[in-house]
Amino acid sequence: MNVEIKMLNEFTPSQLILVCGLPGTAYIGKLSVDYLIQQLKAELVGEVYSKYFPPFVVIREDGLVELLRNELHQFKDESGRTIVFLTGNSQAYSPEGQYEIADAVLEWAINNGVQRVYSIAAYITERPFEAPNVYCTTTTLALLEEAKAHGAQLLDNGVIGGENGIITGLAKKKNVEGACLLAETHGYQAPTGEYVIDPRAAKAALKVLTSMLNLKVDMEPMAKQVAQMDEAIAKLVEIERRIQKEMAVSGKKPAYVT
Amino acid sequence: MEKETWIERRGDAELIEPIAVVGSPGLRSIGKLVMGSLIAKTKATLIADLYSTHMPSIYQTKPSYAAHPMLPGSGGVIVKSGEADFPKVQFYACSTPSLIITKGYHANFEGQYEVAIKVLDFLAENHVRRIIVVAGYGSKDKKICGAATSKELVAEMKEKYNIDIGYSGPFMGFSGLVFGLSKRKGMEALCLFAGTEPKEDDLEFPDKEASDRALDKLHKILGFHE
Repeated sequence: MNVEIKMLNEFTPSQLILVCGLPGTAYIGKLSVDYLIQQLKAELVGEVYSKYFPPFVVIREDGLVELLRNELHQFKDESGRTIVFLTGNSQAYSPEGQYEIADAVLEWAINNGVQRVYSIAAYITERPFEAPNVYCTTTTLALLEEAKAHGAQLLDNGVIGGENGIITGLAKKKNVEGACLLAETHGYQAPTGEYVIDPRAAKAALKVLTSMLNLKVDMEPMAKQVAQMDEAIAKLVEIERRIQKEMAVSGKKPAYVT
Repeated sequence: MEKETWIERRGDAELIEPIAVVGSPGLRSIGKLVMGSLIAKTKATLIADLYSTHMPSIYQTKPSYAAHPMLPGSGGVIVKSGEADFPKVQFYACSTPSLIITKGYHANFEGQYEVAIKVLDFLAENHVRRIIVVAGYGSKDKKICGAATSKELVAEMKEKYNIDIGYSGPFMGFSGLVFGLSKRKGMEALCLFAGTEPKEDDLEFPDKEASDRALDKLHKILGFHE
């Protein structure tokens, strides 16, 4: 079980579009995609399991045990298009795992006739700003022009870490149209080293994404939704903090005879 | 070597729909202590050992269950009573009640999923449908709380055994993954968490009182009469 994609129901997509927002810097991708899932009432259709997720499970407040996993949620719009959102409670820890999971999801999408892949990530900057810019890298020049027309700017140089970046790179290799939108954030970190979520950046990314997708999404409840997500993600951060605390190194070097 | 994780059979047992009981050296060694006591009480016999090249004999992390990708530990053998063997997970069986008692061992970061999946495959091959995991959780309350793979099982724990849910948060290492992956392998699982005070300088330092409380609850679930 390197990577396993488990579909929960029959999946019959049409003109499939994949939108990826896995947890990463300032949780911008996850925050954006989870918001769309809630607003559009997208339906959970698949789960992604992998041995590359960190080796622990989460006991929920209702007493149920939960594996770390990614999820596929589908939304069918009026025109008959199927948009699938990829979210989750974890990313793979290692580059090997990140490649394998992103590749498995992309292959699954290709087998289902995917037409375009979007991902949302963070662009950390020290530039003071009132409204965050949204940068973009795409697999084709035509798509770049399209993204610019919807308010994104060209990303000249930079690194997009993690699966949200890898999936765009793999899309290019496999001749699938892809765009990664990067919202500016100051990338504040809590004293424990975790990134603080940035709903302002998510909102900026969503403005470009929903415009490109021609999706009508009510942005009014964002503040309220963000507060709820803030609470949920704060729990994730707390879990990470506790894990890190328990990961304290003993300081003992391995010896071959003890 | 062909395989990274493998099982060696040590004996056979005629088991009818056995329940698997699982514990490992976790917080305050609750799971490990309970498995030891249960094996002694039931006079269960060893039926299989599971080995893995992902199991360190010397950990670089403390506690052992807090796997870290950069700290894989060191392989080696463990010598007991003059006999050397690799680190292992051990399966013991008894027929009345029908049990497979699983003494866990923490693989490193790389191998934890693999070992847990192999354990579950072995249990499934031996017709296990239900797993009971025993572990500790950090708390000043000296109580037992539970968690499960389904809402129905959460309700059953409350109704039949008066066990409430209580702990929420991460569950690391061997027992956590066996618990979490069980549903994917077609089995149901419940977990007894015994409240125990973490000893910051030695998280695996045994807490006999807490493990006795967990053992008492486990005996009631398994239908032992003292």
